Amino acid sequence: MAVSTATQASSDTKPAPPREWRRFKFPESLYRWGGVLLALVFVSYSIIYLNIPLDRFFNMFGRVGQLVADRYYPPEIDYVLEPDYLASVFDTIQMSYLGALFGMLMAVPLGWFGSYNMTPSRRFVYPVARLVTMSARAVHETIWAILFVTILGFGMMAGVLALTMFCIGFAGKLFAEEIEAIDMGPVEALRATGASELNVMAYAVFPQVRVAFTGIGIYTWDVAFRAATVVGFFGAGGMGWYLKRNILQIETYRVSAILVSIIVLVLIAEGISAWARARVAKAK
Amino acid sequence: MATAQATADQVERIIAARSKTKIVRLLIFVVVLALVFLSVKTTIVDDTDWARIGSVWNVLESIGQFIGINWSLVPNLWQPALETIMVATLGTLLGVVVCIPAIWFGALNITPFAPITYPIARLMMTLSRSIHEIVWALFFVAAVGLGALAGVLAIAVRSVGFIAKMTAEAIEDLDPRPVEAIRAVGGSEFQVFIYAILPQVLPVMVGVIVFEWEINIRRSSILGLVGAGGLGLVFFRQLNTFNYPGVTTVILAILVLILFGEMVSYYVRKAII
Amino acid sequence: MSILSVRDLRVRYSASGPEILKGVSFEVGADDFFAIIGPSGAGKSTLIRCINRLVEPRSGEIVLYGTDVLALNSRQLRKLRRGIGMIFQEFNLVNRMSVMDNVLSGRLGYVGNMVGLFRLFSKEDISRALSVLDRVGLSDHVDKRADELSGGQRQRVGIARALMQDPKLLLLDEPTSSLDPKISREVMALIMEIAKEYKVPVLCNIHDVQLAMEFCNKIIGLQDGIKMFDGPTSKMNTKKLDEIYAMEVL
Repeated sequence: MAVSTATQASSDTKPAPPREWRRFKFPESLYRWGGVLLALVFVSYSIIYLNIPLDRFFNMFGRVGQLVADRYYPPEIDYVLEPDYLASVFDTIQMSYLGALFGMLMAVPLGWFGSYNMTPSRRFVYPVARLVTMSARAVHETIWAILFVTILGFGMMAGVLALTMFCIGFAGKLFAEEIEAIDMGPVEALRATGASELNVMAYAVFPQVRVAFTGIGIYTWDVAFRAATVVGFFGAGGMGWYLKRNILQIETYRVSAILVSIIVLVLIAEGISAWARARVAKAK
Repeated sequence: MATAQATADQVERIIAARSKTKIVRLLIFVVVLALVFLSVKTTIVDDTDWARIGSVWNVLESIGQFIGINWSLVPNLWQPALETIMVATLGTLLGVVVCIPAIWFGALNITPFAPITYPIARLMMTLSRSIHEIVWALFFVAAVGLGALAGVLAIAVRSVGFIAKMTAEAIEDLDPRPVEAIRAVGGSEFQVFIYAILPQVLPVMVGVIVFEWEINIRRSSILGLVGAGGLGLVFFRQLNTFNYPGVTTVILAILVLILFGEMVSYYVRKAII
Repeated sequence: MSILSVRDLRVRYSASGPEILKGVSFEVGADDFFAIIGPSGAGKSTLIRCINRLVEPRSGEIVLYGTDVLALNSRQLRKLRRGIGMIFQEFNLVNRMSVMDNVLSGRLGYVGNMVGLFRLFSKEDISRALSVLDRVGLSDHVDKRADELSGGQRQRVGIARALMQDPKLLLLDEPTSSLDPKISREVMALIMEIAKEYKVPVLCNIHDVQLAMEFCNKIIGLQDGIKMFDGPTSKMNTKKLDEIYAMEVL
């Protein structure tokens, strides 16, 4: 795809020979420039409409530096080493893996039902599965957290459920795409032996997607962990709650310490996830 | 006779080996299950105020409060919806501008000085992707005050990682033959970039940007929760005034917005490819 | 006497699409090794897949051992399919599974859902798998993964899988097209021997006319969904071949 467009693009920008060719492209490039112009108008209109103070934007960099230096530096590292906070980190990790696990338990059947090639019924099951996955994904994890907190009260249950919804949407879509990309040959062969659809899934589909699913699973946990660091902000348990409390109390040094701890933890999680995915991919 | 015995032995061996793997798997399964139960106990069972939740009926009742649509709210949603789209768009565009150096430094085959610039770019991408947009927004609200600008900045910074990573990877896998060809006709490095690299990468990049824009709509729809305007603010207000059907209405509005974004992104990507 | 009779079979993939098979009829006898030849796009693969309804015909009649194939419901269809062995051009093995599991998967039509899911195959099934693997000459490769084998060996696994089904009919869909000429001949010879041993009729669609003439006793020539020739191999000649392949030459 990249190659074909490349040749196309270079043919209309290539300098010398046939001048008539350029003229031939005129209406097309007119649309293109029209589109660019429209986008520019929209951008400038947005800036005016949103009342964005451009001067503040341009001298922001100095201000951010000063702000960080004055109020957020040095982070109060001792705070994040307190047992209470470390316990919340442990809670966050548990929430993230439970959410990822429950989410994936739901996402596997949704991925099956929502894959166009393997779904039991293209007319009924497929659209329902797609709709469920899409809605779970479209609603932001913080909104899920707020909704579950409203219904179930503060605590980690709301957080786990919010992360579960998030992971259903995230993994469900990737699982379905993975199943849609399989080689249908073995599926056909196993159907021809008279195997049931469940066994066709187990023998012809699952071995083909197992590695990819494992990778997606690890990645889902990684993304869920990032989300888990903030769901507490809305009362759904974990580190986020400490973040919110210190922001409200304007304990800026503690806030920066918490932010640093989040960054470090997320980087560690990402490192683990990247390493595990690389290993899984190598194991095939 | 001997061969029959040998076959029977082989069958026994295969069955034994198969049941052994099964037992090992079962053990792993049991251990994992026990761990999960432990976590469920500490996170869910111990940390939940069961008295507040009450019975299943109470839960259903509180879910029931959300049923319904507050139609009178709908006319008031156009403006925040537009704001949400605008924040997403501006944030994405700003993100594209910011990510140009990250792309340049982050593609191994064009990075100016690999031992230093490549890790810098990688760090930029990882930081951007690993910090949640809520955290970024909190940071920028502190830096530039409440309002759309904080949202735009948070979105921009959050987008850099993905766009830069995908584009840098596309540059790394590009077809070297056109580069050679332009060099062969005597083109300068800049001309090589314009004629050989850019045309190859542009479709990928535009696709990634549009995809990120679609995700950014989802993100910008909640930035109001931390004071960056848009639908998130309306959501928060409905929630604080206990207008639960209003909450449902806002969520549905967000869904519609995201559906719109997905449609636009689908057609744009189709048009490029 | 015929065990499979196909009457006026018509297939089209979508209501507005072109007709792939335009009323094909033929009969297969109990000891036939039947070849279907024709240029690519003639509908050979579609025809083969209609017999076990991997492709649903629009109209026509298929009777196999006295059963009206097109009238079966899905449960009955699965029961029918387990008695029809099928061998594919691309082997269609599950690459990440062992040879043993690939062969055992031929048994899935006979076992229940749970037996299949947890791979609780019986002793009989395993010893049967060993003996068919022995028959196709792969007894040294039982525990290898399918993707470690060469093309010819993979096709032998495919044959073993089909034999596990205890087939009453073998359908071969271009079994040699992914193999080099020498291996192709070996595989065809093996299939022919096995068909004789197990007394299974074979319906084989094949691109290579040479191989068809050599191994098959009857030939159907298809061109653009229409039957151009149907008869014993001895009646086939160059002129008729030219007719069948006329479209391809153009």
